[in-house]
Amino acid sequence: MKILLEPILVSIVAGLFIFAIPNKFRKLAEIFSLFTALYLFVAGIKIFFASPLNAGYLYVDNLSRFIVPGIGFFGFLITLYSLKSMSGYKSVSSYYAYIIWTIGVSILAAVSNNIIIFLVSWGFLGFLLYALINMKGPEANAISKKTFIIIAGSDAFMIIGFSMLWMITGYLNLTDIKIPIDSNLSFWSFFLIAIGAFAKAGVMPFHTWIPETASQAPVSVTAFLPASLDKLLGIYLLMRLVLNIFVLNTFSYSILMVIGSITIIAAVMMALIQHDFKKLLGYHAVSQVGYMVLGIGTGNPIGIAGGLFHMLNHAIYKCCLFLSGGNVEYKTKTAELDNLGGLSKIMPLTFFTTVVAACAISGIPPFNGFFSKWMIYQGLVENGKSGGILWVFCLAAAMFGSGLTLASFIKLIHAIFLGQEAGHRSSLAPECKIRCARDRQVIGNRSRDEVSWQMWVPVITLAILCIVFGVFAYQIPLKFFIGPVLGAGFEFIGKWQSLKATLFLFAGLVIGLIIYLLGNFKSVRVSDSYIGGEPLEKDMRLSGTEFYNTVKEYGVLGFIYKKAEAGFFDLYEQVKKMVLGLGGFFQYLHNGILPTYLVWTLLGMMGLFLFFMR
Amino acid sequence: MAGINIIPLFVVIPLGAAFLISLFGKFIRRFADIAAVVTSLSLLVCSFRVMMFLQNTPGKLLIYKIGGWQPPFGICLVIDGLSMFILFIISLIGFFVTVYSLAYMEKYTDKSKFFTLFSLMICGMNGAAITGDLFNLFVFLEIASIASYALVAFGTGHEELEASFKYAIMGSVASCFIFMAIAFLYGFTSTLNMADMARTLSYKQGNSFVPFVGVLFLMGFGLKSALIPFHAWLPDAHSSAPAPVSAMLSGVLIKALGVYSLIRIFFNILGATQGFLSALMFLSVVSIIIGGILSLSQWNLKRLMAYSSIGQIGYILLGIGLGTPLGIFGALFHLLNHSVMKSLLFLTAGSIDYAGGGKDLRDMSGISKSMPFTAKVNLIASMAVSGIPPFSGFFSKLIIIVACIQKGYLGYGVCAVVGSILTLSAFMKVQKFAFFGERKDGAKNIKEAPWLMRFSMAFLALFCVIGGLMLLPSIRFFISDAVQVVVKGTSYSSIILEAISK
Repeated sequence: MKILLEPILVSIVAGLFIFAIPNKFRKLAEIFSLFTALYLFVAGIKIFFASPLNAGYLYVDNLSRFIVPGIGFFGFLITLYSLKSMSGYKSVSSYYAYIIWTIGVSILAAVSNNIIIFLVSWGFLGFLLYALINMKGPEANAISKKTFIIIAGSDAFMIIGFSMLWMITGYLNLTDIKIPIDSNLSFWSFFLIAIGAFAKAGVMPFHTWIPETASQAPVSVTAFLPASLDKLLGIYLLMRLVLNIFVLNTFSYSILMVIGSITIIAAVMMALIQHDFKKLLGYHAVSQVGYMVLGIGTGNPIGIAGGLFHMLNHAIYKCCLFLSGGNVEYKTKTAELDNLGGLSKIMPLTFFTTVVAACAISGIPPFNGFFSKWMIYQGLVENGKSGGILWVFCLAAAMFGSGLTLASFIKLIHAIFLGQEAGHRSSLAPECKIRCARDRQVIGNRSRDEVSWQMWVPVITLAILCIVFGVFAYQIPLKFFIGPVLGAGFEFIGKWQSLKATLFLFAGLVIGLIIYLLGNFKSVRVSDSYIGGEPLEKDMRLSGTEFYNTVKEYGVLGFIYKKAEAGFFDLYEQVKKMVLGLGGFFQYLHNGILPTYLVWTLLGMMGLFLFFMR
Repeated sequence: MAGINIIPLFVVIPLGAAFLISLFGKFIRRFADIAAVVTSLSLLVCSFRVMMFLQNTPGKLLIYKIGGWQPPFGICLVIDGLSMFILFIISLIGFFVTVYSLAYMEKYTDKSKFFTLFSLMICGMNGAAITGDLFNLFVFLEIASIASYALVAFGTGHEELEASFKYAIMGSVASCFIFMAIAFLYGFTSTLNMADMARTLSYKQGNSFVPFVGVLFLMGFGLKSALIPFHAWLPDAHSSAPAPVSAMLSGVLIKALGVYSLIRIFFNILGATQGFLSALMFLSVVSIIIGGILSLSQWNLKRLMAYSSIGQIGYILLGIGLGTPLGIFGALFHLLNHSVMKSLLFLTAGSIDYAGGGKDLRDMSGISKSMPFTAKVNLIASMAVSGIPPFSGFFSKLIIIVACIQKGYLGYGVCAVVGSILTLSAFMKVQKFAFFGERKDGAKNIKEAPWLMRFSMAFLALFCVIGGLMLLPSIRFFISDAVQVVVKGTSYSSIILEAISK
């Protein structure tokens, strides 16, 4: 009990302390929170080794034991990163207090066995997210409002789901509950709770807050909550429901698969056309959740393990991508792909981490993203053995989605790191030219301008993890984290010898390099970018985003894109419109005339008489 | 002083204070302020004393016979768990609102008149909460109501007067029906003592008399507690009154006069039939949804809060209407939480107005920079009222929703959840428009509220944060004693009569 309770209490007390530090003593708040975050990380590792534990209201089993150090790990990296990235913000003490509370409360959510404790911690996380997004200042508060309403609204539905669960079983402790989905009540209970998980993780149709948060919130917040922590927690909850609390039937599994596939495709299509790289990453954060849900929806051990592994991997590479993006934004002060370019020489470390993480997210071997996707595909094939046609579509969606992911990341890498340097375009509007000129001043004059160590250490760590989890997948993550969760273990249909394959890949690369060095590489021809045979003029600049405009203008797709950008598919916007319409109608009824009100009163009384005296 | 003799003080102290303040307030400087604070503080102390005393009394029941007359011939004052609960809320909120108005009412001309009316209102509510006589309840109800009509009109602008007029007319209609119902009951049972009446009713059943009286009461007290469709007076009255009055009206008055009397009469005297409970639940759910939607579409800050009160009263009565111990527990807990957080919200709205921030959300922007304290407090109260954990409102809403599901009213449970989302959206709107955003040029000279106002707000906010601890078994008695009284229903009569005869 003590080992579980201690980090949570420490985080709450430390958070209060940090909250009370005046903003003047900035260094004190920073250093104190860094040490608290480190302590929480260490405590998480301790819990990992001490588990499984069961202390009544709190418990750690094989599923939650690797979530806890994960939360601590990301918390520590983000705190480290924030030391530099948040240097422009004034209210540091509340920012760090919220971060520390988020770490502690997330741990509480992951280890709680009691439904009430779980709901409290889960709901409080929503509030903390709201507070953290607001750190950005006035421009972020529309987004924070929307985010909070979506998250808290889904939490409220989760409350209904949990109360139904309580009504069916009579237990408040999750370990005591195991029910089959055989009635309407249990089915709705499952789906209402799942809504909470979906909104947290960002599954369609509850995803709309993620891209907008990504584009507005401070980048460390985005990398922490929507990109890594909310995925860990959301998918953790879904996993808990599927593995421990409910015994799903085929129908429920199929619904999960359909939701997952739609999320993959729709979100990645949106990502393809984005010009703001933070928003692009945000859409990918939605799309990748689709893989996790799809993996869980296959309902067989390999698929579920794949979904879980993908959750872990996604947290790593998406956090890495956002932080790398943050580095770029920190140096260039812009997130518009059109205004960036040629940064590979200027920020080599960031370039390296972005490429690694982008390869991981696109599912390129030998990185970790490939491995988990590979497991999910196998789960789908396994699912197909029992007949049905659904798995074919899902498999197609997953693979196609993976391809589109790669496509959009080629665009991202090209636009930010390769291509021409920003500031070469003279055909721009004057104000834009000034900005470009400033950009060039910032980045153009020096050959190397990497961010400081607080910012590159986290991304390098994450990038190395991407490689390690991919190459040594059997030896480390599957053996220690994923395997124990699926008690019975799982069978691979096709074995992917990651280590050997990596060696071969590496050998291939080395051989290629040798050939390159042996050959007469001095006469390598450097030519202009190929743009369909058109001559490249001096004042013309290609950022790479234009190539994807074709998609946007393509017949039916163009129509859908237009609607999507106008918020037509946004559940929140549609409901808002409806409620405000109703509100207008009711306000019209309240005309402020006393006799009208008296008539309502009398009518109400007559209604009551009719009801009672019949 | 022996515990039992404190009971009449709940009426005597505020009544005497009102008298003295109106007499000397004009002539002695600061007399009104001091007298008001002393009054409310002594009431708070008294309610603590009585609470301790009640805990140690067997049966948890105190009866004071006025003038030594034996009920049912004389009037008796009864304090049981439920009365104690309401009494404590009145004293608590009354004290903090009084402290707040010391500073706030400076901008109005006649402070002594304000505190006179305020003390009268407190007197009426206290009396209604502790009396054991039905006609006496009506009298106290009228004292409190009439004082509140005058308080709503205190600003004497045309908006205030109009609101007060509407409130007075509709309130009088309600009082009229309540009076009619009491007269019918008196004619039927030939007694006015609540316990005696309940006993008589229990063996004189078998016709449609009780439902008929029930409808009159439901309408009358429904109007006092602003259930839709009897709610129309509330938004005007609560939004145009001075902030401390709004806080008192929304936080306490509609509950002490409306909800408390409704519970007392229906559960303890008439006996809660399933038909009554269903009607109550239906009206509550309508209130939750329509109140929520209407509050979302308001632009006047106080009007938004007023409409949200309608929705929150819906939650309280929904829990009551379920009739299960869990539901009633949740409802009473929500009553407590709501009185704290809604009065706090109105007080924050008052401080914004006091500082010159205006009343309309569209005119405000970036107030959190000028008034960081008010912004934080308002955020806490908003979170509590929207039911965000770990703030107090979450727990009471959770209990009500769970109780709905437990009794099998899934639809009502979903409505409660939807209402909670609507409330959240409404208060997020306040946060977005009033507190965040760019600071306007005219708002540069807005200052934080004076310390007396901040003192009240800080304590109420503290309760919003730690209010969930009320569920701990060692302090839960405060609510669960009240729940016991409601759950016992009409056996209330035999308990009281037995205690009287001792």
